[in-house]
Amino acid sequence: MTDVYQRDIGKVMINAFALLLVLSYALPYVYLLMTSLKPAADVQQIPPRFFPETISLENFNTVLGTATLPKAFLNSLVVAILTTVLSLVLAVPAAYVATQYRRPITVLFLLFALITRMVPAVSLGVPLFQLLKTLGLLDTTTGLVLAHTSTAVPLALLLMAAFFEGIPKELEDAARMDGCTRFQAFAKIILPVMKSGIAITALFSFITSWNEFLYALLLTSESAKTAPIVIAEYNSVYGLAWGPMTASAILYSLPVIIVTLVLQKQIIGGLTFGAVKG
Amino acid sequence: MAEISLSNINKVYGDSFHAIHDLSFDIRDGEFMVFVGPSGCGKSTALRMIAGLENITSGTLTIGGEVVNAVDPKDRDIAMVFQSYALYPHKTVRENIAFPLRMAKIDKTEIGRRVEEAARILELSQHLDRKPGNLSGGQRQRVAMGRAIVRKPKAFLMDEPLSNLDAKLRVQMRAEIAGLQRELGVTTIYVTHDQVEAMTMGDRVAVMKAGVLQQVASPHDLYSRPDNVFVAAFIGSPSMNLYEATLDGNRLTLGKDGFEVPAQVFESRPSLRGSTNRKIIVGIRPENMDDAAIHPASAEISAPATLVEVLGAEDIVHLNIDAPWVDAGDPDAVTEIGEDRSAVARFSPKSTIRPGDIARVAIEAEELHFFDPDTRASIW
Ligand SMILES: Nc1ncnc2c1ncn2[C@@H]1O[C@H](COP(=O)(O)OP(=O)(O)OP(=O)(O)O)[C@@H](O)[C@H]1O
Ligand SMILES: [Mg+2]
Repeated sequence: MTDVYQRDIGKVMINAFALLLVLSYALPYVYLLMTSLKPAADVQQIPPRFFPETISLENFNTVLGTATLPKAFLNSLVVAILTTVLSLVLAVPAAYVATQYRRPITVLFLLFALITRMVPAVSLGVPLFQLLKTLGLLDTTTGLVLAHTSTAVPLALLLMAAFFEGIPKELEDAARMDGCTRFQAFAKIILPVMKSGIAITALFSFITSWNEFLYALLLTSESAKTAPIVIAEYNSVYGLAWGPMTASAILYSLPVIIVTLVLQKQIIGGLTFGAVKG
Repeated sequence: MAEISLSNINKVYGDSFHAIHDLSFDIRDGEFMVFVGPSGCGKSTALRMIAGLENITSGTLTIGGEVVNAVDPKDRDIAMVFQSYALYPHKTVRENIAFPLRMAKIDKTEIGRRVEEAARILELSQHLDRKPGNLSGGQRQRVAMGRAIVRKPKAFLMDEPLSNLDAKLRVQMRAEIAGLQRELGVTTIYVTHDQVEAMTMGDRVAVMKAGVLQQVASPHDLYSRPDNVFVAAFIGSPSMNLYEATLDGNRLTLGKDGFEVPAQVFESRPSLRGSTNRKIIVGIRPENMDDAAIHPASAEISAPATLVEVLGAEDIVHLNIDAPWVDAGDPDAVTEIGEDRSAVARFSPKSTIRPGDIARVAIEAEELHFFDPDTRASIW
């Protein structure tokens, strides 16, 4: 009797704690959302209110009416998609070879991928700037895609390597015995088996590029500028345009939130690496 | 269908680990050949070289008369069944079985017909549209077999295909695979480390140890005429008991006891005469020993019983024979704590021997095995 009672208390405590944690993470975002829904005039109201008195889409209309933001959104989208595709094309086969044909050098290779994740992005930004300048790729979508790919690939490599660890080497052997070349075995059997792992890796690569700020700031100026830069520019020497800024930020966060919600089962499954066992 | 021939095949992993040494033998067309040996002896390596999944370091491999050392696995026309089954988890049973046919660009209606037929033979017809993840171990095993048989390949290679099944299913599948092979008549190489599987399934059995072929022979010959100490101990369960003894004329001295070796033994093993007056390894199978109180024999020794396992049909009696015990060199051999080095005998269930008793043990001396203590080879 007391046991059951104590277990219930424990459950309530854990849930309360989880709720508190979620609230503290969510609160700034909720505040962002509330602010974006206020009429332009109420945004800088003193004292500030949490909930808008009247809900208005004025801020959203403003930002979508400009030329800069929709263009920056498009740039972000193109860069993120190309980065994702390029990262997968590079990382998926590399991770497969590194895990399935294990040699000292492949272990070293994965270790290097890990190390590049530890170098601060700023210290790579300057050489990257020089590199793209020499190549004439500053302020181009291509240039930014290459820069983003350089950060997305190590992550994709490590994720995919972890997924590939979970599939038996005999799967490729079986396909080869059944009449496949090595490449056919990879394309016809291994890739389809790995599709949820690849989806998760794609999502992470996409988000890496979508959220990236520093390289976008350093390597683009006008035509290839992405949305995070435009959003930040609302806070300019001319003042802080809270309304448009919050509205843009909300719009920009929506795709990621939607995709994450849609894929949440796969993401959790994938992150616990149970996705391909069967 | 084809014969497979290995000649002086070697495998070196990396540049130092010599996994297979000069492996040579022929597998006849339609034959069921079993590779058996303790874990790590190179059975899978040998099989994978035949499959083409592993490079052959040196030597010649021919399949159906054609040298295939450099031929890709896909072009060898061989089907393989893996220990883990390696079914394609994203494909249904039907698609799994059809896959090799689709790769061979066989026409759709023909594929459908052959998949149905394989499914019928393997009793998988009701499961064709399920995914491997939803099948039992035995069903998965059948799907793996199905994928191999639909193709009508030149040969089947099977690497411990039953080791993931429970004991009862294993016995059933053992019979089914052997039956299927006989029916299809396809040359088959079957790898196992279970000597019972090897003996019951194989037309011939190749015994390997540490990358070296020990003997290739029919199950009956392996049992009755083992080439060396290792094969003698590896084949048969419980294992043959091996002790150092001395042969002096016709008299064999085993520890404190001794008895006459019958003349017929010297007739069937002429070289044994040359081994008199010196140390020799004598092998006694458990089934050639019995309780002398029940089945007396001219050759008799006495030894204290340390353990008696009553199985109903027989009593397994562990005996403490006071002669130097010989290690057969099987790394997988079970040596029970405190019981290692004891001899094992299969006594009639009528025996009343209990642990602690001194047993009078009758030995069928005509069935003794003799080995050279230096070369460990049989003396014939
Ligand atoms: N890729 C490899 N690289 C290096 N050594 C290997 C490799 N594969 C196998 N070996 C070694 O070669 C030897 C033979 O291995 P193999 O897998 O053929 O043994 P096996 O007889 O099939 O054993 P088991 O019954 O355990 O399956 C073992 O010592 C093993 O460690
Ligand atoms: Mg093996």
